[in-house]
Amino acid sequence: MIITKDHIGGLVFLCLSAAYGYYTGDISMLPGDEYEPFNAQTLPSILAYLGGILSLALILTASRDAGDRLSLTGYDFPIVIKLLVLVVFFGIALEWLGFLLSTVLFLIGGYWLLGERRWKTLFIASVPFAVFIWFSLSQLLDIYLAPGRLFTILFGG
Amino acid sequence: MLDGIFTGLGTALMPFNIMMVVVGCFAGTFIGMLPGLGPISAVALMIPITYGLDPASGIILMAGVYYGAVFGGSTSSILINAPGCASTVVTSFDGYPLAQKGQAGKALALAAYCSFTGGTVGAIILLFAAPALAKVSLSFQSGDYFALMVLGLTAVAAFSGKGQVIKAMIMTVFGLMISTVGIDTMTGAPRFTFGSVDLLDGVSFLLLAMATFALTEVVMSIMKRQHLEEDPEIDMAALGSMKLNKEEVKEVAPTVARSSVFGFIIGVLPGAGATIASFLAYGMERNFASAKEKLKFGRGALRGLAAPETANNAASTGSFVPLLTLGIPGSGTTAIMLGALIAAGVQPGPRLFIDNPDVFWSVIISMYFGNLVLLILNLPLIPYISRLLAIPRPILIPLILFFSVTGVYLVSFNTFDIQMMVLITVIALFLKLLEFPMAPMLLGYILGGIMEQNLSRSLVLSDGSLDFIWERPLTLTIISIAVILLFMPLISKLFAAKASKGMEAAVNKGDGG
Repeated sequence: MIITKDHIGGLVFLCLSAAYGYYTGDISMLPGDEYEPFNAQTLPSILAYLGGILSLALILTASRDAGDRLSLTGYDFPIVIKLLVLVVFFGIALEWLGFLLSTVLFLIGGYWLLGERRWKTLFIASVPFAVFIWFSLSQLLDIYLAPGRLFTILFGG
Repeated sequence: MLDGIFTGLGTALMPFNIMMVVVGCFAGTFIGMLPGLGPISAVALMIPITYGLDPASGIILMAGVYYGAVFGGSTSSILINAPGCASTVVTSFDGYPLAQKGQAGKALALAAYCSFTGGTVGAIILLFAAPALAKVSLSFQSGDYFALMVLGLTAVAAFSGKGQVIKAMIMTVFGLMISTVGIDTMTGAPRFTFGSVDLLDGVSFLLLAMATFALTEVVMSIMKRQHLEEDPEIDMAALGSMKLNKEEVKEVAPTVARSSVFGFIIGVLPGAGATIASFLAYGMERNFASAKEKLKFGRGALRGLAAPETANNAASTGSFVPLLTLGIPGSGTTAIMLGALIAAGVQPGPRLFIDNPDVFWSVIISMYFGNLVLLILNLPLIPYISRLLAIPRPILIPLILFFSVTGVYLVSFNTFDIQMMVLITVIALFLKLLEFPMAPMLLGYILGGIMEQNLSRSLVLSDGSLDFIWERPLTLTIISIAVILLFMPLISKLFAAKASKGMEAAVNKGDGG
């Protein structure tokens, strides 16, 4: 049997709908709400059934053409993973190092990952840009940007 | 109505708002020119900026970006045969051959004139159609609204293309499911928060739009190794003349007139939008052409370029009709605008015309300015804007990533949102690999809350009975249209199968005899 993208998608959404339906039962309601024509569980219940029916319909009407198989060749997954990890680190750095430093590090990291190796370019395309954005936000637009927990710990808040 | 027009003129003519139109058109043109990034991503990137503006200025900026992005997409279609978005794919059919003949300047100018005419005709029709429709829709009750939401959601699924209908419907349901996360506005009960305080407010619209469009599009281009491709070299000296002669104007004038009205009508249909309008207008124009002229299509026919360019801009304007009057977005881009307006405290719909006439009218008036800016400023500056494309991709991509991520962070100042964004991007990438469309999901998410409120109100009023669906002729009509739209792909499939069976039988009979 050929398993195509439609089959995979249908199965994923069938599982999602089942899980969604299961957790719908966990939604707390006020006493007597279950007798009301509409309560917090009504729409989620409808959506869970609808999601299940549509997923089954997708599986049943799925294309059986070998050309519709999920092909993962030709994609550069390692670079995507590295970039997304960099974004996660950027989020953590924002809290610990503050906006300015984390922006510089994020941009240098991004340029580096995408193949830029010239230090001059890495520096010019990140530091002035980060300073400009930081200056515009904190000085011109008066937006408070926290200095970063590390600096607060080291130098006091 | 005149009062409203003057209010709109007053707001749209404020120097700050004029600046928003100009900035929006430039930013949109640049983003639209980047292959892979279309109007949806361009408008999504603008949302964080609009949070700091008043609603009228915010939507004026987004409308400018929308037009700019569509025009930018046409430019890259003509110059480098790389459409920035789906609605300008057809533009490349005849635009690129013209550029290859050394007439890129003429093609660009024609695209700009046609976009201008299409947009202007659209804006004029909108000027009269929107208030009329808004007045009619003032009599709508909660049941009608619920029916309208259902119509909007099914229309998006129905127009999503061959083999995509069920997938689009699933994505709509997925979007509706996401909209239920967080505290239920009616009962105050937390839903699907799994004990997390960060999820009590639900998934933010900005986060979802940025993650599923801006971030996913950029990451997808990296995944396909597009950043390693050589940047296209555009020889600006070889653009050629940007002038059209009298005969050429005469040749395309009827096409432009036809496609403007046609594009607008298609744009008004919820879910259809600029892409379908451009394809249909091209097909229609080809059918209108004589056998001799038909041969020119695809080889640099002026009419072949004029039709989709006019239609996609007229449709972009048309898609504002359901947005402004009914609160239903006609396309993915207007869905994002709807979300941004709701976030700014403005509820688009019949009441917008009365409650926020400045927003309603200034958007319509600024649309006209947007078209004017594109024609007067953008066209002569195209050679210079194109130079921005020369920024190497390894530099440009991290910058776009930075703007997407900080755009979300600077609104909430919560780093949890960044981690959430990465998670949603991973899910969106997986779904894109499985060829699930993203726009229906966003539409479902945006309309989910309003739909639930109206369904609840209708059910409470009718004491739990579903009678409200067929009690009022208006509700019944809207629901019937939604059902017809839903089953249209199935019906057309059945008809096609029957026709081919009939054909086969006829052929077999012929063989036998």
